[in-house]
Amino acid sequence: MQHRSADKIYKYVTAMGGGNALLFIFVIGAILVIFSYPSLVVNGLHFFSSITWNPHLSGEMITMNGIKTISGASYGMVVFAVGTLISSALALLFGVPIGLGVAIFLSQTAPKKVTAPISFLVEMMAGIPSVIYGFWGFIVLGPFLLNVVEPGLAAHLSFIPFFNPPVYGYGLLASGMILALMIVPIIASISRDAMLQTPKELKEGAVALGLTKWEFIRSMVLPFAKTSIIGSIILGLGRSLGETMAVAMVAGGAVNYLPHTFFYSTNTMAAFMALSMDSAFTDPSGMFISALVELALVLMIITTTVNVIARALVKRGFISSETVIKI
Amino acid sequence: MALNKIIIIGVIAAAVIIGVGSAIFFTNGNNSGNTNPASSITATNPAGTSTLSAVTLSETGSTLLYPLFNLWVPAYTAASPNVHITTAGTGSGTGISQASTGTVQIGASDAYMLDSQMSQTPDMLNIPLAISAQQINYNVPEIPASTHLNLSGPVLAGIYNGSITYWDDPQIKDINQAVANLLPHKVIIPIHRSDGSGDTFIFTQYLTKSTPSWSNAIGFGTTVNWPSVSSSQAALGNGGMVQASAQNKYSIAYIGVSFFDDAEKAGLGYAFLQNKDGNFVDITKDNINSAASALVSQTPTDERISLVYAPGPNSYPIINYEYAIVKKTQSNPDTATALSTFLNWALDPNNGNSPQFLDKVHFIPLPPSIVQLSKAQIAQIQ
Amino acid sequence: MKKYKENTFNVIDQQQSILQPWQDPRVLSRYRTRKLKNSLFKIFPIVSLLAILYPLLDILYMFAYKGVQVISFTRLTGLTSGYVGLANEIVGTFFLIALSSAIVIPMGVSGGIYMAEFSRKSKYTEMVHFVIDILAGVPSIVLGYAGYLLLVLYLGCGFSALAGAITLSVLMLPYIIRTTELSLNRVPTSIREAATALGCTKTTMINRLTLRFALPGILTGILLAISIAFGETAALLFTTGASDYMPTGALCNSQVGYLTYAIFQFSPFQSPFASANNLAYLAAFLLIIIVLSINIIARIGLRRLSKI
Repeated sequence: MQHRSADKIYKYVTAMGGGNALLFIFVIGAILVIFSYPSLVVNGLHFFSSITWNPHLSGEMITMNGIKTISGASYGMVVFAVGTLISSALALLFGVPIGLGVAIFLSQTAPKKVTAPISFLVEMMAGIPSVIYGFWGFIVLGPFLLNVVEPGLAAHLSFIPFFNPPVYGYGLLASGMILALMIVPIIASISRDAMLQTPKELKEGAVALGLTKWEFIRSMVLPFAKTSIIGSIILGLGRSLGETMAVAMVAGGAVNYLPHTFFYSTNTMAAFMALSMDSAFTDPSGMFISALVELALVLMIITTTVNVIARALVKRGFISSETVIKI
Repeated sequence: MALNKIIIIGVIAAAVIIGVGSAIFFTNGNNSGNTNPASSITATNPAGTSTLSAVTLSETGSTLLYPLFNLWVPAYTAASPNVHITTAGTGSGTGISQASTGTVQIGASDAYMLDSQMSQTPDMLNIPLAISAQQINYNVPEIPASTHLNLSGPVLAGIYNGSITYWDDPQIKDINQAVANLLPHKVIIPIHRSDGSGDTFIFTQYLTKSTPSWSNAIGFGTTVNWPSVSSSQAALGNGGMVQASAQNKYSIAYIGVSFFDDAEKAGLGYAFLQNKDGNFVDITKDNINSAASALVSQTPTDERISLVYAPGPNSYPIINYEYAIVKKTQSNPDTATALSTFLNWALDPNNGNSPQFLDKVHFIPLPPSIVQLSKAQIAQIQ
Repeated sequence: MKKYKENTFNVIDQQQSILQPWQDPRVLSRYRTRKLKNSLFKIFPIVSLLAILYPLLDILYMFAYKGVQVISFTRLTGLTSGYVGLANEIVGTFFLIALSSAIVIPMGVSGGIYMAEFSRKSKYTEMVHFVIDILAGVPSIVLGYAGYLLLVLYLGCGFSALAGAITLSVLMLPYIIRTTELSLNRVPTSIREAATALGCTKTTMINRLTLRFALPGILTGILLAISIAFGETAALLFTTGASDYMPTGALCNSQVGYLTYAIFQFSPFQSPFASANNLAYLAAFLLIIIVLSINIIARIGLRRLSKI
């Protein structure tokens, strides 16, 4: 009797642990909605259609619909949304082929001896903090792009739109490359795991049919691992959409203009949120903070959607549970 | 046996959940200013003669003032070991808001609190500690290092709003007759700060005061609605401004004077700026001083005044007071005393305001009459 | 058999091994394209690998080089005040991690135990899985904002260790719950059967048997979560504040310095002083060492786990 009640206590106590996750997500959502309420009311749809983010801190404080704001202030997230999407798209453009290449190397073509150390190195990459990527991007990548890569691209590829001079260094291209570095380990390790699960029978069949290695990978390995690969790509997308510090240090920090080429400075929602909070404290009406919180809310909705889809796909595919832990 | 374990685990889980909740509320109870029990006796006087209570003061805010506090505090605490001062560079906005809520005693800020902010928290004092300035740097290889371009508020406003796009624009040539032929036909890259900043505040204030069209369209603030100029760029921090300007030929940037040496090392030129009297002036100590003294008589007792675009033939136009934002009523007398003593020390021309500290960050000491006003404000701290 | 395996794909790749009785030019040309594609393909994984290893090694080399140059006893043991050293950031980081671990480990481990032992495949478990997925995907800056608004502002805890630690624990929770549950699920059924047959209560079974079997896995998850917490910046920017002095130990209204902020604050774009920049390089170097060694330990644990 005593034992059974002990079991019950144990059960309820442990249930609280998982329940905390529910509580956290609820609290986070509620907090964001409550604090973005003034901005939701005052800025309305303008928030989603305007490219002007102007707190107009030198203006007079006024009351609009019962909510304090600054006269002449205007909050629109388009620049940051566009910057976020394009830099993440660039990250996928660079990151997906490289990630898949690494996965193919590790699961199919690598000599046995190097697989372990290289898997290890790739997984190390996932562990490096983003502020360190940003620091490196600021000191090494930005100047390298500005002085070497971008002038070259601008000189030889300027017939393609979006590759026209002038070049800036810190901007879309730099953000895309830094983000690619950060998502490659995700794509590579999940895809490698899925590819490793390709059944022996398929391989034997491929040999029997006289397929080349490329034909075998293209027609058997990739289709087999498709779900997990797509899942890993979307997961990488989710990571890059929400990445903050690394991008903040290399994006250039554009406000109020959209990028015209891949060399332009840009800004992402997360980076802008990190760098603007201090200014927001100086807005006595509190509207600046509220608008930033609305930005956070929008970002959270986007990344949540992306992540839920990705994880569903990854789990439906064939990967080992160790990889599930890592993501 | 098994029950023991359950109880242990149960207690841990419950304790953590309850502990977290209560910790917030308990510590919340005495959040009126002093976290660290200000009057607790944490250390005895090293001399051992008397047991004075140790007081902790916290400072947070402006990243421009942060290096100065970093020089002041070790020197000050070496002399008065009973006071413990913590410093942090988090940004002016954070400094103001933290001081207003009372979580720190000193909020460092590059800008004074605007009327609208004061109306929210009328209990705050804005005490100038030193004078800072800002230089306008440019990267135009054609201009020899020995000469300095002349720039005016309207021209800078034109560059930053996109109406002046080339270095050989007639408006720039006009005020630079001596080097007019050297100015290249190259697109100007105006660089502004990507993070909220006191430097943006004073730069845009200069444009606002000197150029009506800028004042109507943009105004000033730590973050402003930068006009969309296709060649423009943004950079993170003053160091980022130096680097971006050094890397982009034909760029122009506004940079805090603490970074004067860095900008020079990076090979950037700096401009002579047109002041209110129409003269183009260098960023020298004397010119900064004359700007500050020009406004001494107009300084109100609460010392909330912009020094930007001061009158006077030699006044350098972009300078500002670096402020300590403090609450009039402190939580307890010990803290108030320690705070006033420290601030008075910082203002003393033989101590905190001596060149030994200020020169390292290129700040300028306050004029004597302003020191008196600041001291009068410090006397209000209770 | 072994021989056959090794040569699996060499049958076609090596021309001499193909003995075509007919010499149809169409077949030959198709063969040539296939072979070309295959050899082009062989380059692709290598190129991708170099593209990713080069920056990684450059990062490691750069910070190791700079780090070794600037590391010194005073920089490790001095306070940041006056740009002397990083002692308070190092202590502050460990303080934050310890505090958040104390909050999150009991929560996460017990959550995992509940889902693996008491309610496999229930509605509750499904929901928690879903929520954990969401939580793991919330950008850290959003967590930082929520932490700022709730803990710092609304509850009045101020910039403090507690606000930062709670925000970090939200970040760490999904990893710990997930690993605990997975590790418990992998405990062989025979063990549970044996325990039940012996008349153990569920509590005894979990504490004495299954948890013990799952321990390496659980520890690995905790270590991974901790290494993520070590490298976190955005979640702490507006919750912990910054400080040049040792943490006071107070939970609320006392700012704490931490290593990632030192990187951000003292790097050349924020500070004109070489002494400050050196601290940024050192902080980056220390952080890489800490994070990589935790990762190495965790991976070794993970490998051992998968051998069970």
